[in-house]
Amino acid sequence: MELTSEQKAILDGAQGPYLATCLGWLVEWGDVMGARRLIRVDNTHALLPVPNLMARGASKETIRQYVEGLREACRHRTAPGCYCTVHATFVTLDRIDVKENDPEQVRMQQEIADMAAEAGFIPTFTCAPYLVGNVPLKGEICAWTESSAVVYANSILGARTTRHGNESAIAASLLGVVPEFGVLLDENRKGTLRIEVSAELLTSTDWGALGYFAGKLAGLGIPVFNGVRRPSQDEAKQLCAALATSGGVSMCHIVGVTPEAPTLEAAFHGEAPSEFIPFTDATLREMYDSLRHRTGDEVDSVILGCPHASIREIAEIASMLKGKHVAEGLRLWVNAARATKAGSDAMGYTRVIEAAGGAILCDTCPTNMRIPARRIVTSGFKQAHYARGMVGAEVIVAGLEPCIRAALAGRWMGDE
Amino acid sequence: MSETFELKGRSVVKGRAEGDALVADATLSFWGEVDAVTGKVIAVGHPLEGQSLQGRVLVIRSTKGSSGTPMTLNLAKLEGTAPAAFINVEVDSLAALGCIVNHIPMITDLERDPFTAIRTGDRVLVDAVDGFVRVTRRS
Repeated sequence: MELTSEQKAILDGAQGPYLATCLGWLVEWGDVMGARRLIRVDNTHALLPVPNLMARGASKETIRQYVEGLREACRHRTAPGCYCTVHATFVTLDRIDVKENDPEQVRMQQEIADMAAEAGFIPTFTCAPYLVGNVPLKGEICAWTESSAVVYANSILGARTTRHGNESAIAASLLGVVPEFGVLLDENRKGTLRIEVSAELLTSTDWGALGYFAGKLAGLGIPVFNGVRRPSQDEAKQLCAALATSGGVSMCHIVGVTPEAPTLEAAFHGEAPSEFIPFTDATLREMYDSLRHRTGDEVDSVILGCPHASIREIAEIASMLKGKHVAEGLRLWVNAARATKAGSDAMGYTRVIEAAGGAILCDTCPTNMRIPARRIVTSGFKQAHYARGMVGAEVIVAGLEPCIRAALAGRWMGDE
Repeated sequence: MSETFELKGRSVVKGRAEGDALVADATLSFWGEVDAVTGKVIAVGHPLEGQSLQGRVLVIRSTKGSSGTPMTLNLAKLEGTAPAAFINVEVDSLAALGCIVNHIPMITDLERDPFTAIRTGDRVLVDAVDGFVRVTRRS
């Protein structure tokens, strides 16, 4: 990779050993991925969570070293003019009566949050930065963690980011550069797989089903969806999250919606393949069935807001819960960014949800926190996929309405 | 009796490491599908479910899923449960980053399909400096 004399000097330690290490990561990453140069980035979404491995027997030394790495990052300043937001964490900084919200971990996370803010990172603590103000423009170069947000940025907003991990996003935030490879380049944004959608997509979760199907087929490729209507923001969020769960997708094209895919031909850069894979009503049903593993109907946890809920979703949830109460012993979680909860508080939605026995969970989600559950009903394909292994729960993925019905009844009541 | 053969490949993340192969024609997200403390695959229904990655040469199609993959690899490395090396068919930027940061060698583009050439339990030396793997079959 070609480096400027200034970049070479940083590698040689002109700005200290930590930034030399950071630039070293970006340069080697670029070399490995075929980049020719580093380019300016002024929008990042960094990952700064204190790992929640203590309860599962990790050594204190592992935690100490990892957290020290985060502290080291936050002792620097984000690059001038770089808009840096922060991904979700593994605890909530709110006081909640859940033993998994380990006070020691919360203390360390608060320390990192304070240091991060001082360094210039805006402590959004969300997996959906595009819901709380980080909305890059078409063509804007970004360095985002959170696989679902990467797909959203590339596919819905037309911004450009490769799939970043914690080290690369921190390095990009502090140095203001990224290696130019993958979907940052026009030629790598071409569709690789055509999917013709004949299924009727009625709910946000239906869009998740489409993503879960396509991600598995696409792998690291770029699926192109033809024949679908314009999704809402919430529907697009579910599609993108599921694509990056079953697959390693960086972007997709929704013909007529993705800014650079006004037509099917444009999505394939002029050579639309005649072969396609159909997504029918039967396929839609199969996707739901693939994440419904239950040996009974009793439900002890309902998880909404994966990825973090929008204010519209919270409004919808509140309207369904108004004047009602969830089943005894059931936990209803609505995961959201702190900034979204502020809106919900102002609108009175939080009060309605809490009066119904539910809770808005900020900064994280129950699966990230590893809150135990026996049987989870959730509207997110991503949540359902990961909760099975991470929490060891049985899962049922369903639309928002059947989720709320299950929460009120304390048992799975079916889709209708 | 053991049989040894070499396969050429393209070095992705430089380094040399040896271990017992763990082979699946599958994709894997380290965050959410691997427990960094035990080093085991926790994804329900995954072909490698319950298998330990510790010290193994991991032969998979590619990583997928979460951007927490490099973080999980980092934690696994600190805990001593990380794989010794990666043999991948496709290179996901997240596995590449995790391997760079944690000094785990990665090789790709083997001259033969790794899923038929290499079997779980084979002893495998990954030389991602000179670009080959040496496979010793135990029978």
